[in-house]
Amino acid sequence: MRYAYKKKIIYCVVIVITLIILLHPDMNARQSYEYIEKDDIIHSLHEATNDNFTSTAILDCDYYDIIHDETTLSISLVDGDLVEGHRIKEGGEYAPSYCKPKYSTAIIVPYRDRAEQLRGFLVYMHTYFHRQHIHYRIYVVEQVDSRPFNRAKLMNIGAVAAMKAGYPCLILHDVDLLPLRPANLYACTERPRHMSSSINKFRFVLPYLNLFGGVIAIVSKQFKAINGMSNEFYGMGGEDDDLFSRLQANNLKLCRFQPETSRYHLVSTKAERKTNQRKKVLSFTKERMAADGLSSLKYTEVATVLHPLFTHIMVDL
Amino acid sequence: MVSTTLTIQDVIQMIIPFGANRSAKKVDVDAILPYLILPGLLLIAAISRPVTIIVMVVIGMCALYVHSRPLQKNRSSFFFSWTMSSGIYMFMMFELFVTCFYEVTQLENFVFLLLLVCTCYFFYKMKSVADFELATGSSKGKEYSPVLTSDSHYCQICQLEVNERFFHSIWWDCCVLRPNYIYFLVGHIFAFATLFYGTNLGLTTVCQPYIFYGDILMPRDCDDVYYDFVSTICFVTCVYGLGYLLVIAIVLIQQLLVYIPKYSEPQWKKLVNVLNV
Repeated sequence: MRYAYKKKIIYCVVIVITLIILLHPDMNARQSYEYIEKDDIIHSLHEATNDNFTSTAILDCDYYDIIHDETTLSISLVDGDLVEGHRIKEGGEYAPSYCKPKYSTAIIVPYRDRAEQLRGFLVYMHTYFHRQHIHYRIYVVEQVDSRPFNRAKLMNIGAVAAMKAGYPCLILHDVDLLPLRPANLYACTERPRHMSSSINKFRFVLPYLNLFGGVIAIVSKQFKAINGMSNEFYGMGGEDDDLFSRLQANNLKLCRFQPETSRYHLVSTKAERKTNQRKKVLSFTKERMAADGLSSLKYTEVATVLHPLFTHIMVDL
Repeated sequence: MVSTTLTIQDVIQMIIPFGANRSAKKVDVDAILPYLILPGLLLIAAISRPVTIIVMVVIGMCALYVHSRPLQKNRSSFFFSWTMSSGIYMFMMFELFVTCFYEVTQLENFVFLLLLVCTCYFFYKMKSVADFELATGSSKGKEYSPVLTSDSHYCQICQLEVNERFFHSIWWDCCVLRPNYIYFLVGHIFAFATLFYGTNLGLTTVCQPYIFYGDILMPRDCDDVYYDFVSTICFVTCVYGLGYLLVIAIVLIQQLLVYIPKYSEPQWKKLVNVLNV
């Protein structure tokens, strides 16, 4: 009988060790994380409008109802058209006329070769923003050369253009992500905000705590302080981890809204699939941060066209 | 019918002529073969969508063929090894590849492992009780009961007298008798739950999921799984797991309709007797 007991104990020990290894937090994604409570959102927002923007409305816009909005938008909007009389100004700029918005936001979208997806994105986003009472403008930055796609550098270019136009808040947005909940207000918080923390492709969980890709909201001054993003990430992957390291080096902590609010839909693309494996292509150093970024940004601007729904910046990197 | 008299050993003998005439080696080969065939089949199935369908249909047909043969011909450790290898490979796929996407939360992983541990425990119990019965148990062979009663028959494989209500399972390589029947049943229920949960987690990871109800996700769009090897192999394993799920569901329904009434009959009788008194 002693032998049997020994065998049982060995089995139990093996099972427990396996469980501990497999259930280690680093091996698993996170369902919950630290986030800003709904009632604290308004106080944590960075209230600023574009210096060049003046509203004729008398009443201030109210954002309480938006933040507590429980509805979900339908993805089928991407196949439709915008409603008539949407009053979007050339260059994809819009502000509500019935109230005075408190927030100005520039949405920067790096883009290449996905015309149909961009069309759906613009229709969806304009419909979505109409429910948020904010002043915004959409910048689409297109890489026209044939080098590998450099998402981060395109972000930098868009950010420079938006800051020149006086936008106090930047939202760095992937073209294949669509926000599902109008409660996810497209305005900057005092701390940089990771907005897409609950993507359907990732089973609505956060793959790892330091993930800072997809959709990012950051105050223009902070973006300048961290010297923007790196210009060296050709091909996909790694630039968001680099951005996170830049924030850390500047003692900027990131924040998020609760998972239900931060739900996003990833429009699936067959050619390139998103992988959220941790990659380190270039190692981060403070020296590189100072030398590589907005300060070293060099590119050739091919054209800037004001389309009815967006500002189109075409660049040769 | 020549084909029906073929045993697995014969097939192996044809494939590997040397060394197969020594019986000790034969058994070894039978037991090891599934560990090589199954990953091979899964890798082949990962080529493209039509190949996946063909491979899964072939596996299903082979299983049906095996079941259509008389029980005595299936006396081989191949089938038990097949069950074990399926379980081990599916588990490894889940823990090594699916969790690498960082889309399964700690809680989900824990629930999955808990279900798996329960499944393993009950099947282990089932096997050990059967072994115990075989060695010393009350339903031991011919010497114990030289005259078979009407509802008993002799299990050729276990060399054990089995009550007609119960049966021999080639996939577990043991007899399911009254003492271990409950472990068999509960084990299958847990296996069903584990596989259902595991394939759901796997498929929602590699495919585009949608919110089914509350926090429950269901896979919807699996079009882009064939573009990257890791997600393809996860997807194929999940499809294989779904096939297994179907088999377990059939076994459970069969139990529900046939064996559970028989198993609980004596207890009912007891109850009725008590009421009569």
